[in-house]
Amino acid sequence: MALNTLEFDCKAEAASVRLAAPVHYGVVGSGDLEVILEPCDLGGGVKVKVTTPISGFDAVWRKVVETFVNRARLADVAIDINDNNASPAVVSMRLQQALAETAA
Amino acid sequence: MPNWSKLQTRSFLESSARERALGLVDEGTFTELAGPFDRMSSPHLVALGEAVEFDDGVVTGVGRIGKRPVFVISQEGRFIGGAVGEVGGAKMVTTIDLAVAFAEELRAANPKIAADELPLVAISFETGGVRLHESNAGLLAHAEVMDAFQRARGKVPVVALIGSRIGCFGGMGFVAAATDVIVMSEFGRLGLTGPEVIEEEMGKDEFDASNRALVYRTTGGRHKYIMGDCNFLVDDRVAAFRAQVAELCRLPVADFEQFRRIGSAALVEKQMRLVALAAEMQPKDAYDVWRRAGNNDPAGLGDAPVDDFRKQAQRLSV
Repeated sequence: MALNTLEFDCKAEAASVRLAAPVHYGVVGSGDLEVILEPCDLGGGVKVKVTTPISGFDAVWRKVVETFVNRARLADVAIDINDNNASPAVVSMRLQQALAETAA
Repeated sequence: MPNWSKLQTRSFLESSARERALGLVDEGTFTELAGPFDRMSSPHLVALGEAVEFDDGVVTGVGRIGKRPVFVISQEGRFIGGAVGEVGGAKMVTTIDLAVAFAEELRAANPKIAADELPLVAISFETGGVRLHESNAGLLAHAEVMDAFQRARGKVPVVALIGSRIGCFGGMGFVAAATDVIVMSEFGRLGLTGPEVIEEEMGKDEFDASNRALVYRTTGGRHKYIMGDCNFLVDDRVAAFRAQVAELCRLPVADFEQFRRIGSAALVEKQMRLVALAAEMQPKDAYDVWRRAGNNDPAGLGDAPVDDFRKQAQRLSV
């Protein structure tokens, strides 16, 4: 019954956007999550870690995060997520909001 | 980072723990300690398969208001109802102890240091009390915070701010009562046993938790202000809470004794007179007590804008 940890790497097709500083966004409310985006030397790749009470949705997590990474063209970023049963749409939105925080 | 100026106009009720912490102190002065990047989550929740948060639901840090260093503790109600566990509790205790140690350091370096240059602790409560998942560790955290208040007493003022969605209930209701001064908004709620728990235990006739008006006039800021359980009633704006803390920041620590509701023989006697009054009156509703305090139209007062309420409300004296 322990908490599930999901770890994977991905790489954007046209990876070019790097973070200037780490950012934290969100609250682990019910159906919500928090995310940390940190610059990290990964040869242009992106490292992802998801901590969630839910199991069996590994493929969905991968799809949602990869879509975000590709659209944002992120490079050399470590993504760390604490999830509490967020839906894919919420995950996608929070990732974008976290990225928007770095630009603010 | 949220924009500081925009935060000031925001509803305190709707602000997250981090937004409240940031907005309470002067612009650009807040430094978070043991923040999310330090990843101090609860090991107990991991073992139970429950979702964790990088800051364990408590934002701690230090900023300034004017010249005064302000150590801030801010609880996040959206994470497990702001319930306090081992890690979050340790963060609270350490922050208070840091403030006390810093005050001693400053006094040792400069015995003539001005009162408004010495540290103050501000705690934004949003919690139902003990995090039941962590049982004894969570209970112990409550006791340790109260212990820390005793170490701070007479050295560093501790200010409670209550105006968030969850209110301040359970063991943390006791903890808030043990601070030097309490600032609430009308949307803040303070108590020991929460409305739902009373209804569950004693039945709907005793307390109807779905009756929001009843809940607020029994546990809300206006009632607590009349009862003297809170010292100041402010508007539901981050700037309003901040302004009240800034005003308190001008006072030397000795002046905070006048705001305390508990903690001396005289105050124990006052509380006993209150108990005697309750036994004599047998009030059926908060408004009965408001009337006793000298408010002839309690319902009208309850519905009045908070600004008018502050001007007109007679506070109970025993």
